[in-house]
Amino acid sequence: MHKLILIALRIGIVAVFFLIISSPKQAISQDVASAQATAVVQSAITVTATQSLSFGDVLTGVPKAISWNNDDSCAIFVITGEGGAGINLSLILPEYLSLADGSDRLSVVFRVNDAAVDTSNTATPSSMTAGDGWINQNPYILPSGAVIGSPGNNTKIYLGGKVVPSGNQKAGNYSGDIVLNVSYNGS
Amino acid sequence: MKIQIGGKTIKYNSGRLISAIIGFVILSQVGEIMAGVLVAPTIVFLSDKNRTGRMTIQNPTNTPKEVFVGISFGLPQSDSLGNVTLVLQDSGVTDPRSAMNWVKAFPRKVIIPPNGSQIVRLAANPPPNLPDGEYWAQIVVRSQEGELTVPQANEAEKITTRLNMVMQTAIRLKYRTGKLVSELALTKATARLMNSKVLVMVDLANNGNVSYVGKMKCRLLDIDKKEISSNQVDLAVYRSLKRKIELDTEKGRVPYRVELTISNEGRNDIPPEAMIPGNKIEYAMKVE
Repeated sequence: MHKLILIALRIGIVAVFFLIISSPKQAISQDVASAQATAVVQSAITVTATQSLSFGDVLTGVPKAISWNNDDSCAIFVITGEGGAGINLSLILPEYLSLADGSDRLSVVFRVNDAAVDTSNTATPSSMTAGDGWINQNPYILPSGAVIGSPGNNTKIYLGGKVVPSGNQKAGNYSGDIVLNVSYNGS
Repeated sequence: MKIQIGGKTIKYNSGRLISAIIGFVILSQVGEIMAGVLVAPTIVFLSDKNRTGRMTIQNPTNTPKEVFVGISFGLPQSDSLGNVTLVLQDSGVTDPRSAMNWVKAFPRKVIIPPNGSQIVRLAANPPPNLPDGEYWAQIVVRSQEGELTVPQANEAEKITTRLNMVMQTAIRLKYRTGKLVSELALTKATARLMNSKVLVMVDLANNGNVSYVGKMKCRLLDIDKKEISSNQVDLAVYRSLKRKIELDTEKGRVPYRVELTISNEGRNDIPPEAMIPGNKIEYAMKVE
């Protein structure tokens, strides 16, 4: 009986201790209870380029092609948004690259099978198969049925291409723009 | 759903929250992001009662990003196969529902620091006596590297290249005024068995004065009315539109009938207060 009283006393002391600790918080929460605010998480879309199309060093008169499934050199775009939502994708591609001073142009060609759209969330350019999305696509006419991949909530675009230097192509550093347009088609 | 933090009630849509978290995780795991930005929200609503709005552009990368904001026009258009495309127009727009010429964005050009963000304000200055309804524009956010550099050739006689990756994200802007009516009509629907799939083609016409936004759902049934498969797409009809849905078949079960439902329900990307309730369409057809 004496032991039971001691145990009850100890429990009571612990309970009072916790009440003392918790009481200031309670007071604070009561103070701010009338100051409720609401916030809504907005839907977002993110478009990024994680890798540029890289042809490396090019030799005069020797065409050089990079395929869309080249892990190290193909262009990679990543679109992140609401999984399953339909998206419009279009690329604006250059016909040539230019020297900074405009004194020469380097032809660049994008062939009918130079693009792929990957909705798998797990594949890489070299491991992607037809089941992961759309392979060997025409970069000028990307699939109209493209969606943001789910699971993963992202879709990747892989792009290859080919540069065709002439026999008297001027040495130097050529540049151009690859533009990706993205929009939801269900809004 | 609601959560409470420090006495503040935060309402959130679980789907959008999960998408945002997964997106952030993906971006944080991408080793080297060269260019790109996050844009939110994905639709901006303005009205005669609130002619200003805002959108946020975030730079999730470790390098500064040069961002341009422009206003264009473009509506989803479909071809005879139900493929939907969007063509942006910067000039020569004659559509009476275009808001392109009287919506402005500020700022229009900005460099966003690494992991920084920028608020873009949108203001509508519509012409007087605008008829009731909805008016549309596209906010185009264009981003590229803050500092563009061309790699140097390893040797003087070599040729090197640099392809600048430029991203354009088009966000819908809708300006609303007066009495708003959302009404959609189904003008034609077919379901055909093709290559082990059932292809549903639907022709839709917008009879309201706002865009009809919702979801189109299809269920493929066998002769015993048991579901074989289902599929759905987000829908936005501005004028007329042909949409397609593919339904999977199952070996040993004959696809017999397709049930089609179109309604405003289930659009998590649009705040409920911005949704204009419209009619619901239910239709059933035999598989040919």
